[in-house]
Amino acid sequence: MSGDPYGDRGNKDATIVNPRGTGTAQPVKGGSAKAAPNGPFLIGETMTGGYGNGPDILHDCTISVEKGEIAVIVGPNGAGKSTAMKAIFGMLDLRAGHVRLDGEDITALSPQARVAKGMGFVPQTSNIFTSMTVEENLEMGAFIRTDDFSGTMEQIFDLFPILREKRRQPAGELSGGQRQQVAVGRALMTQPKLLMLDEPTAGVSPIVMDELFERIIDVARTGIPVLMVEQNARQALEIADKGYVMVQGANAYTGTGKELLADEDVRKSFLGG
Amino acid sequence: MDFLNALVALSNYVLIPGMAYGSQLALGALGVTMVYGILRFSNFAHGDTMAFGAMVTVLMTWWLQSLGVSLGPLPTALLALPVGIAVCIGMLLATDRAVYHFYREKKAKPVILVIVSMGVMFIMNGIVRFIIGPGDQRFLDGERFLVSARDFKTMTGLQEGLAIKTTQAITVVTAVIVVAALFWFLNRTRAGKSMRAYSDNEDLALLSGINPERVVMLTWIIVAALATIAGVLYGLDKTFKPFTYFQLLLPIFAAAIVGGLGSPLGAIAGGFVIAFSEVTITYAWKKVLGYLMPESLAPDSLMQLLSTDYKFAVSFTILLIVLLFRPTGLFKGKAV
Repeated sequence: MSGDPYGDRGNKDATIVNPRGTGTAQPVKGGSAKAAPNGPFLIGETMTGGYGNGPDILHDCTISVEKGEIAVIVGPNGAGKSTAMKAIFGMLDLRAGHVRLDGEDITALSPQARVAKGMGFVPQTSNIFTSMTVEENLEMGAFIRTDDFSGTMEQIFDLFPILREKRRQPAGELSGGQRQQVAVGRALMTQPKLLMLDEPTAGVSPIVMDELFERIIDVARTGIPVLMVEQNARQALEIADKGYVMVQGANAYTGTGKELLADEDVRKSFLGG
Repeated sequence: MDFLNALVALSNYVLIPGMAYGSQLALGALGVTMVYGILRFSNFAHGDTMAFGAMVTVLMTWWLQSLGVSLGPLPTALLALPVGIAVCIGMLLATDRAVYHFYREKKAKPVILVIVSMGVMFIMNGIVRFIIGPGDQRFLDGERFLVSARDFKTMTGLQEGLAIKTTQAITVVTAVIVVAALFWFLNRTRAGKSMRAYSDNEDLALLSGINPERVVMLTWIIVAALATIAGVLYGLDKTFKPFTYFQLLLPIFAAAIVGGLGSPLGAIAGGFVIAFSEVTITYAWKKVLGYLMPESLAPDSLMQLLSTDYKFAVSFTILLIVLLFRPTGLFKGKAV
């Protein structure tokens, strides 16, 4: 703390500083995309990086998704799953490696530019605007769109009917499961070409969890590739076309969901036998 | 009749000046609360931003007056106001580029920005005094009264006169228009909603494709406009003196905190709470009480609770009392 010239030196006085909603992302500064034909639809290739000047969290980590697939990243706590997602989305600077989307190298793009390229991301926590209504949350999701997005909003209300009922309510007043629906809905508002979900079922009841998985499969069926991080490894791998097991920031096992479920080592170490 | 006289005296010395002063504080506090909500620090340079914007307007007014331009009964300053706002916007955007931007890049904690804003305050303070001088400057012209005390007396036959200064009327009307426009902007427009979204959750705003630098720019533009308008209205109503704006920072902060920092509605409420408590506590109640009480009980003293020199003490006492009972302010400090 004392070593950081830009730190707060322990000050917590809310009458002069506003700690709520502060960003933690260290977004990539805007560069431009380069053509990089061939290869999978989305790939984060040999990514190495960490936060700020801190140590590397990701070590040569590779994650990819093809069109129409559900890819799932599982692994123990602190394995760098969320960090890998953030790295793919440009929320932290990579020290090595590339991110390619749909035939373009987007490593140098800022997160906003990646949204414009068709990526949608639902972070694990703080994934809704709590002080804004459900409808405003969805509108903010469609921020980059200049066309009429009322049709998309209707589709999302059809996918999550409860949101239609609560459209005028502040999103912060909703239950955990409903909040997750708002979060996913927000990300879908851009009509993304790729949806990234960071633990969409964290903190929701088992029944709601099943329903959320159903909805995610619905989304994938419409042709949008889904990349997600999940704690409920077994359930997630069952619906996955491709699975990644990450350990200490690196790929440990890769395969189809079924292969990983059948793999003796994976089962013993990560799925509890 | 006595009751009416008391009411008129009360309006003349407390209600109307309080309304005008409250509107000025509310506009100032709105600017402070916007910076707090969106840029996440308390901007100590706000008082001097008001002084800067008002100074440009004063200079522009003088120039217009020298050309013989006037708005008839309205002060010429209203014509100069857009120029003041534009120059003030330029000044704040330049300050942001030269100073605050650096710290945002470094991901400096907000408390660092508070200190930085104090530096900006001193520099802006110096610039204003250097350009226009530290003394009182008059730039008010046009009709002085909307309703003068004498007219009111002959009109109603009451003993007490009620005077409404043009500047007081302009202040209240402008404040209503500005506040309505600001709320419409924040709640109805795409850009305004993106500012609220950024204030609510910076990371998620980034994920939604909202450009943070644009939000910051919009914030400074709005803050510059609010500060200049508040500064000019205050200058018209009282007088323009750079040091008073520096002092004005205190009741403005008190207003923003009493109302609940980060809440625009709170800033307005806080502005009026502070203004009315300052005016009522430093007002000599002798006259009003004289009308209301039987003759035998009429007070001999001025019945002034505190001398006007202590008006800042009043704002801070109110601030302390409110914070003791409602630590987040009257309106729960929500995201802007």
